[in-house]
Amino acid sequence: MAGAERQPSSLHVLRAITARELRLAWRRRLLKLLFLASVLPPVIFITVILVRLFVERSFGADLDWDPMLRFLQFQAGPVTLLALGIGTPCVARDRAEDVLFLYATRPVVPWHYALGKLAAVALPAAALMLLPGLLIAVLRLTVTQDLAAAGAGLMLLKMILVAAVMGWAYAGLTVGASSGVKRARWAMLLAIAFLFFPDMIAQLVTFGRAWPMGPGSAVNRLMESLFDVGLDWQGLWCLALLMLYGAGGAWVSVHRARREMIP
Amino acid sequence: MLNATAASAPWIEIDRLHLNRGGRPVLVDLSARLSGRAVGLVGANGAGKSTLIGALLGVLRPKSGRAAVLGLPLPAAAREVRARAGVMAEQAGIFPGGSGVDAVAFAGMMSGLARREALRRAHRALDALEVGEERYRPAKGYSTGMRQRCKLAMSLVHDPELLVLDEPTVGLDPPGRAQLLDLIRQLRDEGRRVLLSTHVLRDAEGLCDELLLLDAGTVSYAGPVATLTQPSAGRLVACGDGLDEAFAAALAAVGVETLEHDEERFVFASRGDADLAAFWRVAAERGAAVRRLGAELTTLEDAVVDLMEAGNGRR
Repeated sequence: MAGAERQPSSLHVLRAITARELRLAWRRRLLKLLFLASVLPPVIFITVILVRLFVERSFGADLDWDPMLRFLQFQAGPVTLLALGIGTPCVARDRAEDVLFLYATRPVVPWHYALGKLAAVALPAAALMLLPGLLIAVLRLTVTQDLAAAGAGLMLLKMILVAAVMGWAYAGLTVGASSGVKRARWAMLLAIAFLFFPDMIAQLVTFGRAWPMGPGSAVNRLMESLFDVGLDWQGLWCLALLMLYGAGGAWVSVHRARREMIP
Repeated sequence: MLNATAASAPWIEIDRLHLNRGGRPVLVDLSARLSGRAVGLVGANGAGKSTLIGALLGVLRPKSGRAAVLGLPLPAAAREVRARAGVMAEQAGIFPGGSGVDAVAFAGMMSGLARREALRRAHRALDALEVGEERYRPAKGYSTGMRQRCKLAMSLVHDPELLVLDEPTVGLDPPGRAQLLDLIRQLRDEGRRVLLSTHVLRDAEGLCDELLLLDAGTVSYAGPVATLTQPSAGRLVACGDGLDEAFAAALAAVGVETLEHDEERFVFASRGDADLAAFWRVAAERGAAVRRLGAELTTLEDAVVDLMEAGNGRR
């Protein structure tokens, strides 16, 4: 018998779970469209920069406007939809088919399961925020030359922070919602409710003066902090809130796996 | 509790295992050492079979006591046990969202195989189970038979040295059942250990050389199947005409004890050739037509039912 003789590493198990989720997601036409849609904003953004540069060089007019924040806020739209599309079915589908125990019959522990599913959402979400940013930084350094190396580096660091935090938060939101129910469409509704209701309730209670409470508005405000007004208390609050959304979703997923990965 | 000794080293060792679920004791003071190539795990519904499987895979943690599988202590070496075991779980389905071959390959990857190797072995396992082009269809639409084959392929894909099969023949038609049992027998003969949890005692009798009978979370019997099914010493059973009350009285007159009799069969005690000769002499004298005479054989089903009834009687 020459099978898998030793127990696989945690990394191998995590990679297998994440890769399967991504393969399943990639088979869905809607997700492919969303993926393509999330590639459009960088293209538009590059066009905007080139037009701005042309106007500056041709007419000597300084538009004094950096569309980076607008680009990121626009990019967050398709990335949010993509996270909802990948994350909300992933645990609910397993629960509906009663396969959580199947994972337990393999060398898989609950946190492998939960983290594998979270990574399947966080990685593409973060990559779709980060890769266009990387492209833009390179373009601005080389073609348009409207940013110095230090400026481009700082911009990239900020983008890495936004991408990582947003990926983690949206993974927690969608996979956590998926762990709470047995049907993907209910998980979708639950995740959408978490996107909007916390802000609505907070605004109602404080007569419109509340700080962001939902993950969508927190991402928006964090981007404003980093790319426009500078990192302030509200920006830090948003950072903490997004981390909390991710951790909460991870806790719910691990808890669910622990309860159901048994015979 | 009966406990027969086995010749080779035990691969399931359970020592005074207590396990509670939902605050209720499910396994109580369970002890057994089993070394058969194939071990049957039987018992009534709720006897604790699934819970014991969970404990032997290290998924459920006992309150007290010790357990080891393949010499590996549990739950400390749970991941290693699960890497070396292939489990076909009755209550669990197939990894959803893709085709049968996808699900089998994914099961292999979970057990440590690289994707390409897992896919190669998935095809090999499905070939062995005679699953054709259906393997490329979405697993969601599979028939019960296909689902069972796919589940068995998932348990075999990483070439495990231990197979844990929970009701593998449920929902299969007779040819499918026979084919699956043949395959399990073949796997056992190749040297794999098999733990077969089943309600179909005929399957256990045909496949297993040792049996673990659970009754309300305790061991009712642990040992060789042969001990339960061997011919009853000193009991002969005859079938025919004229084997009635008067025949029993005539036998008693020559010193042969009748143990039980009805219209179907006549059971008497035989201590040797003299009793047998006396039986034939009385039959000839009374003109009884004996169509069949032989040692009384016990099926596993009879033996298990007797043990379970004895357990109920004790409670």
